[in-house]
Amino acid sequence: MTSGQPEFVTITIDGREHQVLSGEMLITAAEDSGTYIPRFCWHPRMTPVGMCRVCIVEVDTGRGPALIPACMNPVSDGMVVATQSDVTKKAQEAVLEFLLANHPLDCPVCDKGGECPLQDQALSHGPGESRFVEIKRNYEKPIPISDLVLLDRERCILCDRCTRFSREISGDPLIEFFDRGNKTQVNTFPDHPFASYFSGNTVQLCPVGALTAGPYRFRARPWDLLKVVSSSLFDTAHPRIEVHASQNEIVRYTGVDNDATNHGWLSDKARFGFEYIHSEDRLGAPLVRRKGVYEATDWAEAIDVAADRLGLIRDESGGDALAVIGGAHGTNEDAYALSKFARVALGTNNVDCRLGDSLSSHFLAGTVDRATIGQLDDADTILVWGPDLKEEHPTLYLRVRRAAQELGAELVVVHPRATGLDDVAFRKLTYRPGEGFDLVQALDDGRYPDVIEALDADNVVALIGIASHADGPHVAEAVAALVRARRGRSDLLPLNSRANTYGALDMGLAPDLLPGRVGVSQEGVGRLRDHWGEVPSVPGRDTAGILEGLISGEIRGLLLVGADPVRDFPIPALAEEALEAAEWVVAIDLFITDSTRHAEVILPAETFTEKEGTVTNVEGRVQKLNNIRPGPGQTRPDWAMLDDLAHRIGAPLGLSSAEAISKEISTVAPAYVGVSWDLLEWEARDGVVVPLEGESQLAHIPVAVATDGKRENGLSLHVARTMYDDGVRLRHSPSLSRLALGPVVLVNPLDATALDAVPGDSLRLVTVSGEGRFEMVVDEGTPAGTVYVPFNQPGATALGIDSAVEAEVADA
Amino acid sequence: MGVLAEFLKGLAVTGKTMIRTIFGDGLVTTQYPKEKRQKPQRFHGRHVLNRYPDGMEKCIGCELCAGVCPAKCIYVRGEDNDPDNPTSPGERYGYVYEINMLRCIFCGLCVEACPTEAITMTTLFEFSTTSRNDAIYTRETLLMDEKGNVPHMFPEDPLIEPKELLTADGWVRATAPAGMAAYEGVQMWQRTAGPADWSPEPSQDEIDATTGKSEDGDG
Repeated sequence: MTSGQPEFVTITIDGREHQVLSGEMLITAAEDSGTYIPRFCWHPRMTPVGMCRVCIVEVDTGRGPALIPACMNPVSDGMVVATQSDVTKKAQEAVLEFLLANHPLDCPVCDKGGECPLQDQALSHGPGESRFVEIKRNYEKPIPISDLVLLDRERCILCDRCTRFSREISGDPLIEFFDRGNKTQVNTFPDHPFASYFSGNTVQLCPVGALTAGPYRFRARPWDLLKVVSSSLFDTAHPRIEVHASQNEIVRYTGVDNDATNHGWLSDKARFGFEYIHSEDRLGAPLVRRKGVYEATDWAEAIDVAADRLGLIRDESGGDALAVIGGAHGTNEDAYALSKFARVALGTNNVDCRLGDSLSSHFLAGTVDRATIGQLDDADTILVWGPDLKEEHPTLYLRVRRAAQELGAELVVVHPRATGLDDVAFRKLTYRPGEGFDLVQALDDGRYPDVIEALDADNVVALIGIASHADGPHVAEAVAALVRARRGRSDLLPLNSRANTYGALDMGLAPDLLPGRVGVSQEGVGRLRDHWGEVPSVPGRDTAGILEGLISGEIRGLLLVGADPVRDFPIPALAEEALEAAEWVVAIDLFITDSTRHAEVILPAETFTEKEGTVTNVEGRVQKLNNIRPGPGQTRPDWAMLDDLAHRIGAPLGLSSAEAISKEISTVAPAYVGVSWDLLEWEARDGVVVPLEGESQLAHIPVAVATDGKRENGLSLHVARTMYDDGVRLRHSPSLSRLALGPVVLVNPLDATALDAVPGDSLRLVTVSGEGRFEMVVDEGTPAGTVYVPFNQPGATALGIDSAVEAEVADA
Repeated sequence: MGVLAEFLKGLAVTGKTMIRTIFGDGLVTTQYPKEKRQKPQRFHGRHVLNRYPDGMEKCIGCELCAGVCPAKCIYVRGEDNDPDNPTSPGERYGYVYEINMLRCIFCGLCVEACPTEAITMTTLFEFSTTSRNDAIYTRETLLMDEKGNVPHMFPEDPLIEPKELLTADGWVRATAPAGMAAYEGVQMWQRTAGPADWSPEPSQDEIDATTGKSEDGDG
């Protein structure tokens, strides 16, 4: 990238002079000047390859006119371009006739028909009649190349888009050209399916119907679709998506090209995660348990039953006997309503949107030097110390990958085992789970001079999160302190799972936070007094504390909002025991889950396609979600239920609509001043990064480096999330739920030999919090001494957070 | 004198016509519903969904008919063909096919849009109902059976003439070759429901020569 003033050159397109940026490709320069040149292989986010030749135009650079492909040639001063000349037209028509020679005309049964660049450009730039009467190329009709993508090689025009994407962007080159000449075809390697987390992007990229998506196959035709722009809640970066619905049914999401976040790419989870919206198991009416059985009822009764008991507990035992868990999967407006409900109606600060596997709330919400995703492009050094981005933060993974591979950033990756970024990393450090502090100490002591040198660069961006359940939140803070202490400018991006955790924390869904990144204190509460009245000013309990309180009986009533601690909390047995012991549980959820089945009242919620609102992503960017369909049955937005509950309890919240709540947020929460729906819908469609006030009250307290003791012998347990797990929404999305790994343990070949186990053997793993049987998979990427168990897999027992583990081959 | 003559002259026309229509061949009144009039060949009546001679359905569920329908009265959903036991040739078939006859304006654009000649129009026009639900024709009603017989929604109705369900107007591709003279003598539409008779359509001159008058003349 050139810096400084942009240089302009003058070119003539079809007789009109244009000033265009020097160095730009002719195809983009022409498009920016209002002349469309047809294209198939060219894509603005990938390197030009000149495969399809349809962008060929007549260009005179002073040596006489010649036909050149516009996507491969940068503009030069004085260029004369003729896009409408007879020679150009004849050339483009010939190219299209050649492309159509082997392309089957099965448009009526093709999912691309109606939105197909080949159809469109054959009409606008094609010859109109074909002279080709011979027999076309024949291949077996669609072959599934992965669980989600189907390939029809007859339709392929060999544009190299899907293969280039896999090679350049996602880094999984699992799809390639095979054979030569007329038999050239795109295919996967034998015995290697196209098992990329980003395979769905190739479907959107494909300029013909050669790659189609299983979940969308024959569900609708493009002209049926109602479309609305929104953000995906399957990714903490909130990639921009377009939601497509037909007959009130969501049929697909497509990525929207957006400089700020996703560049148009989506992970398969974000692209295909819509089936749960139409799941038959979704709740459509409030449920109240009577004599041990849930009965569907109406809202008035459900609200009465739920609220009366909550009010009773508050009156008898005070607000400290009540607690709220959840709220990280909804909108900011719903999170604000929940925060206000907890403080004003329940009178408690026992509220947490995190589930015990997160960084501290002050670190997540109060990092003043928070980096933006865009800063990755200018970084000299990128440090990723935390989860495998490919598994948990796919949008960030693609951005970091691009920065390291294309833009020359030095990438340092620290993780207990192999990650998706290792092949582009300048340095990769592994450590035994639970021993993160020792590595921080070693770095501080200068054990890895090359890493320290890289961190001393002028411009450092550090993505810091919890790499393994065995690492506590304080390792991340020690890493942050290490990075901040280096020479250059450093910006941090604290990572956390669950899509709208950042928005929920900004709305005060943490025991020590109030809306707008203000801490719970006399001063913070004082600022809210005009809007909320008197609320408790002492920090409450976090999720682990709430669960313990439920077991000990100090907490009697619990409100669960879109949270499933029994599956999602790192020590599920504790959550199970707590919910079992709870006197009164009210749940707001889409489904009956392992957690909500402990509730006395379950209120049916709406998904993000059914309500409007805003969300805040990992970098603090606020974006607007838009609804496209009504919820099933009697579902309502969370804020409306909470308002009714509060009314019944006798402490009205005064909430009237999501938009009114957003206005209230912008007056109450200091960071959100001026962020209105109008702004997000018109001037800032890609969202705005809300500024963090420079107030130091949330600056986190540096933690002394400590270690939980190095163990010389024995195996260490690494537990981390994968893209596909047994989460509530995925479990109800059939296309994605079958991709979960299941109960497996990944073991280094050396350890497998030491254990005398062969692949497929069942291993019995025992930790202090649990034991379970797992199928052993031998994996070179897991270092010797570490065994890796993906978290929350269907059929797997959770093993807790302690890294000490005993393994043995289980009897058959 | 003159006035009376003119009066009688005018009345003579009336009388002649009256006598011809009562006793001659000029009778214009038909005793509907007992008698049915010959309908024009390209009359736009009730739709049918056709099959190929081997029994496969022609509809591939492409929704082009629904897309082109100006009254938005057609609803189609496609589904994967079972590869071992396909319903239609190709990958997809019309799993749901519904036409709301109350909304249909019988313009025939669906017939023209259909890429496989699956939907055609018959000359049957009597299908009034006593319920709005009955006016929505589903796949079961529209689709002919494997022998080429088309079911009628109200087979007991004395008003219907079942044979009318077998005369089809599938003026497929009527506009496709841009009315070029080179297509004269090429069969461009099908006269019968079901698999089409693709023998070339005679040119207008030939039709006039054999019948002595224009086929499309009555109306």
